[in-house]
Parts: sequence; C-alpha cells; structure tokens
Amino acid sequence: MRRYAFEGIHVLDFTWYGVGPVTTKYLADNGAEVIRIESAARPDGLRLAPPWKDGKPGINNSQFFASYNSSKLGITLDMSKPRAREIFIRMLPWADVVSESFTPKTLRNWGLDYERLSTIKPRLIMLSTCMQGQTGPHRDYPGFGNLMAALSGFYYIAGYSESELCPPYGAYTDFIAPRFSACALMAALDYKRRTGKGQYIDMAQYEAALHNLAPAMIDYFATGRVLGPQANRSERYAPHGAYRCADEDGHERWLAIAVASDDEWAAMLKTLGHPAPEARFATMIDRLENRGAVDEFVGALVRNRNAEELTAALQAAGVGAYPVQNCMDLHRDENLEAFGFWHWLEHRHMGPSPYEGLQHRMSRTPGELRRAAPVLGQDNDKVLGEIFGMTAAEIEQLKQDKVIF
Amino acid sequence: MGSELLKGFRMLDLADEKGALCGKIFADMGADVIKVEPPAGCSTRRIPPFLEDIPGPDRGLYALAYHAGKRSVTLNLASADGRAVMAELVKRADFIVESFPLGYLDSIGLGYERLNELNPRIIHASITPFGDKGPAKDYKAPDIVTWASGGMMFLMGEEGKPPLQMSQPQAGLHAGAEAAVASMIAHYPREIEGIGQHIVVDMQACVVWTLMNEQAMPLLHGDYLRRSGVFTGAIGGRRKTVFRCKDGFVSGLLAGGAYLPSTNALIAWMKEEGAAPDWLTKEGGLKSLTPAGFMSARAEDLKELDMAEEALERFLMGKTKREIWQNILKRRILAAPVATAADIAADTQLKEREYFVEVEHRGLGRKITMPGAFAKLSKTPVGPAGAAPQIGEHNREVYCGLLAMKPEQLAELRAAGAV
Repeated sequence: MRRYAFEGIHVLDFTWYGVGPVTTKYLADNGAEVIRIESAARPDGLRLAPPWKDGKPGINNSQFFASYNSSKLGITLDMSKPRAREIFIRMLPWADVVSESFTPKTLRNWGLDYERLSTIKPRLIMLSTCMQGQTGPHRDYPGFGNLMAALSGFYYIAGYSESELCPPYGAYTDFIAPRFSACALMAALDYKRRTGKGQYIDMAQYEAALHNLAPAMIDYFATGRVLGPQANRSERYAPHGAYRCADEDGHERWLAIAVASDDEWAAMLKTLGHPAPEARFATMIDRLENRGAVDEFVGALVRNRNAEELTAALQAAGVGAYPVQNCMDLHRDENLEAFGFWHWLEHRHMGPSPYEGLQHRMSRTPGELRRAAPVLGQDNDKVLGEIFGMTAAEIEQLKQDKVIF
Repeated sequence: MGSELLKGFRMLDLADEKGALCGKIFADMGADVIKVEPPAGCSTRRIPPFLEDIPGPDRGLYALAYHAGKRSVTLNLASADGRAVMAELVKRADFIVESFPLGYLDSIGLGYERLNELNPRIIHASITPFGDKGPAKDYKAPDIVTWASGGMMFLMGEEGKPPLQMSQPQAGLHAGAEAAVASMIAHYPREIEGIGQHIVVDMQACVVWTLMNEQAMPLLHGDYLRRSGVFTGAIGGRRKTVFRCKDGFVSGLLAGGAYLPSTNALIAWMKEEGAAPDWLTKEGGLKSLTPAGFMSARAEDLKELDMAEEALERFLMGKTKREIWQNILKRRILAAPVATAADIAADTQLKEREYFVEVEHRGLGRKITMPGAFAKLSKTPVGPAGAAPQIGEHNREVYCGLLAMKPEQLAELRAAGAV
C-alpha cells in the first residue's frame, strides 16, 4: 500500500510565481518527486518578495516563495545556456510531467516545446500555464494575478459603488486557476496510466478564473445585464453584511451576519435583546426593500457589543455570523488550529518557518508538507548526482561554467 | 459531447452552494455526475438572481452555471426507501461529494463507514465551513460568513467603512474546486489499489489560502495589513491600483522590482504624449522606484509617488479602456483594463480561442452561453457537457437504466414519496 497518492510520479517543473508552483505543490505534497528548475540568472520573483525571515530581504529568505514550494527539490540550471538545455534533455526520460508557466515564446525559444519533448519522451504530459493561453493575439501578454483579476472581471464586482471600487486583495486569480490545472494534470496522469497516452495541457489563467464568474457571464449573454459592485447587498439574505462592534485594543472590529429567513430574524432580535418585534422589518421582503434602514438598525444593536460573544450567541440561535478576521486573528482561530492548518517547518536558511497547510484532509493517503521549500540550488548535487548519475567532477565543472547557476 | 478524460467514472453530487463547482469540474472532465436532489429540488435552484429576473427552479443563474452537464434525480433521503435507493447508487458510483451539516449522513445511516461498506472504492468528499473539529464545526455559514472568517473580507473596502464581499460570492467556489482536487488526488491511488477514502474540505482554510503572502506577515513582520480601498501594499508600501479612464477604470501599479520595466514604459508613453511632468522623466525622477524595491518606499518619497499617480490618472482620463489596452499590449506594460462582463464577452482573445460555448437547455427551450473549457487538453478536450438539468430530469434514465428498476417499482417509490 502506498503512503502517498503520487508516489513514483516524477515532475520537472519550470513554473514560477503563483499558479504553476501552487499546481505542482499539490503533487509534491502528495508524494510526487517534483524538481523545480530555477536559476539565479532569472530568479522566481517571489523569492524577492516579502514576508522575509526577520523582515530582511534575501533570495533564500522569502516565505512568499516558500509557501508555494513545500515538498519540492530545487536545482539551478541557467536555461539560456545550450549545455543546460542538453542536461534537461538528459533528464527528460525520467519525467512523467513537465510543467512551465512562462510566456509562450520562452520554451519555444529554448527549443523545448511539447512537440519536441514528446518526440524524445513519448507519453509525456506537459502543462503550460500563462495568463491568456498559448494561442491567440494576446498570448504573450505578461502579467500577474492581480492584473488578471482586473481583466477577468473581479475588480469590477467589488466595491461600495462604481465610483468606489475596492478590489480583492492580491493576485486573486492565482488562487482560482491552480485548482483547475491540478485537476486537469491529475486526470491526465490517470488517463495516461489507463491508456498509455500522454498529452499537452494549455491552461489560460483567464479562462480558468472566469468559471468563478460564470453566473454573471451567463446573465450578460442572455440579457445584456452587467454585474457591478453591490457593496454587501444580497438578493436572498437580509440583513447581509458586516456590522461594526465594540473596538478591541483600539482597533475596529466587525461582525459578518447573514439572515436567511424570518425565523432567523426573530431569533436574532431575541438574541440581541431587542424587546419588541420590529414590525417594519418583519418579512424578508420588507428587509430586502429597506436594506439601508435594516443595516442601520442592526448596526446600532451591535455597535457596543463584543464580536466574539455575539458570534457564539447568534450561532446558538441559528443565525449565521462570524467576526471579520484580520491576518493576526487567523493565527489565533481555534477552528483553523483544530483542523491542523498551520505548520512550522525547518527551512535550511530561514530556520523554523510558518506554512499554511492543506485545505483538506484525507483519511487513507493524506498529503502533507513533507519538507520546507528548497533554498536556491539546494538539491543540485543530490538530483544531478544521485538521480541522473553525474560525477562530482562533472557537476563541479558545470558550476564553474555557470551552467548550474 | 462529454470529455474522454474521466469517461466511465461516476460522481453522486449532494453538495449545495458550498460545493456545486466540484461536480461541475468533474462533469467538464467527462464524468457522469448525478445530482441527487430532494423532491422539491436542490436549495441552489433558489439562489437569485434568475434569468430575466423570472424566478423558477431552472432559471437561477447560479444553478445554470454550476449544474451544467450534470444529470438530476430526485430522492428523499428522509425516507427508508429513499436511503435504500441511495445505497444502490453508491454501489455504482466512484465519487460522492456533499456539504451536509456534520453528522447528518451518519444520522441517516449513510456516513462514510457505511458508504465504505457498500463500496470500498468510494471516494467521499465532505465540504465543511469550519472543518470537523473546532468549536465552530456546526456553525451556519452563508458565503459571506466564511469570507469573513477566512480573512479576505477584512482586506476589501476602506478602513472605517464595512469590509466587503465579492458581488458574486466566492467562498463556496473555492471549497468546491478544492473538493475536486482532493477527489482527484484520492482517485489516483484508488485506481491502482482499489480502495477509496474520506476527504474533509475546510472552506475557511480555502479562503485563507487566497490571502497570498499576507497570512504570514504578522508572524514575520509583526503587523497585519489593513484594507485601503484601491490602494494596495505589503506593509510599508502603498500603491494605487485602480485609475479612472475615459470610459471606466484601468488597473496598474507604479512600482519597482519586477514592475520597473513596465513603470518605465508607462512613463515613456506619457512622455511621448507630453503628459509626463519634467521631474518625473528625469534620471532618478521617481526615487521610490528601484530594481530591488517592488513596493517599498521611504516616507519622504510617498508625496512624489502620489503626484506621479495623479499625473498618470490625468493622462489615462483622456483615453478609453480599449486604447489603453492596445498600448499595454504593444508596450508590454503590466496593467489591465478593469473589465466588465461586456468587455469580457467582446474580448478578441477569448473569441479567437472559442472560449464561450452554447448549450441547449431543454427545460427553457433555449440556448445558454457560458464559460467553456477551463483548459485545453490535446487528447481529451474538456468543457461543459450540456446544460443544467431540470429537477429529476433523469429519474427514469438512472433508476430504470443504471439501477435496472422496473417501471412499476419506480411508480411505487414515487407514490411513497421516496422519489
């Protein structure tokens, strides 16, 4: 019986930044041997971004990079050099999967497109993921997930109004696309196991992300209606939003509440100690039609109350509520703790470092963060020597020639 | 219609809005996904808005989007007969995904242990808003509540004003997609060893995962990020990310690091059109922009950064999204229009790649246009296998076909309220 789902699966991984590394992390955390091929000549930009150990920048000091590269091996090859490409071709027969997330012309320029690689390694599965896909007039558009979140419609549906847009934080679509590419990659691995056929996967992050806006796109195509920012408005819950409670430690504290029915509304009033039923807001229709007044009313009821205590009381009464948590709160959240979400792993350069764990748990072959992310070139000797049989002298020469770099 | 990728595998989908996307992804990959609904229809059918704002079980935009390509049967799990039928379905299934309150399936004798007895190959994914162990494990969790618990809500909006949702709720979509990934992870060893397993998906953790690099900030940098409208920034930096233009908005950043060539290209474009103030185009004009510093800026440089952002917005106000987009592509600027559904529908790239597809909805007697393949696979193309089903549309097909019931047995079950 296998301990990990993808034991024995081998991946040569050229991906960088968010979407690609998060995709291959699913394989690595589940036992696949994933070799990330990087180079100091062209480092993964996340290695240069915070948070840093002790707040100090450094190529081996970024938790941003580390978060997406647990359980992987790291080697350095400067692929702009022909000898690095020859070494890669030597490694290729070992691999079940090659993955990359450059703009499309990069691998073509190196002569490493799927057509060529699959001639050398039949049955290869290759994943290419970029912003807009391998074909089409905008295929070479470079960008990050924050820009993709604007381009694929997420910025426009977040805000208090059109003149007050408030986009989601960060590279939002980088946390949508990897689940689609991971599904495709894993299904392709199983398909190959069953049929002997490899294949090429072209995932445009744009096209994956739009699945999270599918209802709005269907609406537009059918009726021409354009979804815009709705603040915290809902068509099925009222009240629905975040309500300010008593400040804590001098900081504002908000409580999210969503009331789904008239019974829940009555339970909420009782819990908040509001004496009489509020006739003007008795039915869902009343509340939906008077959202602003309902928000003010609820806001006044909770304004000086403690958000945690209200959460427990409202939930006990069957009303959906939870404090709006900041990033500090998340580390104190008892539910994330009980699920075993946070992990400290020993990183070669950073020492004990905080990692997010998996967002699911499996009963028989659970994945896990098998080890911390590699420092740049950490596994050069092990991978090139032990797996690919290079001599120590050969590796040393390649280092001197900055092929391993 | 129907991908070859997962052809021959079957998923029973009992998930509500916390997981409907899981079955949708499986249907796109060619699995036979059977939605098992209560006789009155799944609660997701009542999620507004509706097509043309006319309510109806087949008209919800959410249901049209996330049940596309699935089959539907009705089954009353509250009745013993209904549960017996469920057991027969389980024997013929490879996957189950559900999002019931914890303990519900156990209480009706269909918890994982029982499912595993019925079919040791079964992969059972349970989607939970707060995991299955913590103090909130039985909490009610409408989407906005999970959005709040997972930390993304805190970062959207202005300080002093309410934190915000996404106007198309997202938490359940992340959880559903995570359930799809986890089910695929379990699928691989199951096909080799013949044994399935139970999966618990934590929806709150799925939202935390969207916070990018912010979750570790408090531990490593000692503080947490506040929300700041259209401004963004790792702690210590501050950059405007959304600018007005003639007919809408554009997103971009005046930043250093990986953004520096783009920032220089943007300033060069302004200069070409005489829109860049002299100080901005001088060597070292914008002191806060360095190859090393992506977002960091000294406090004394923030004023000039504000001035540069103002100059940029004045420049963009004279141009349309389309003109700006053409220049972004030509000049390799890291920016993008803040696209609306209309912009996306008209996008030439998506057209060239034939992204949007039409599916025929039998119940509505019309075609529905929707997002197509989430990826292009060379040997086994994926994508919507059809429209969303009507309530119980496939009762006869599934019960009399797959389960080989006689028509009179089905009639009996119907009369007993089990189907």
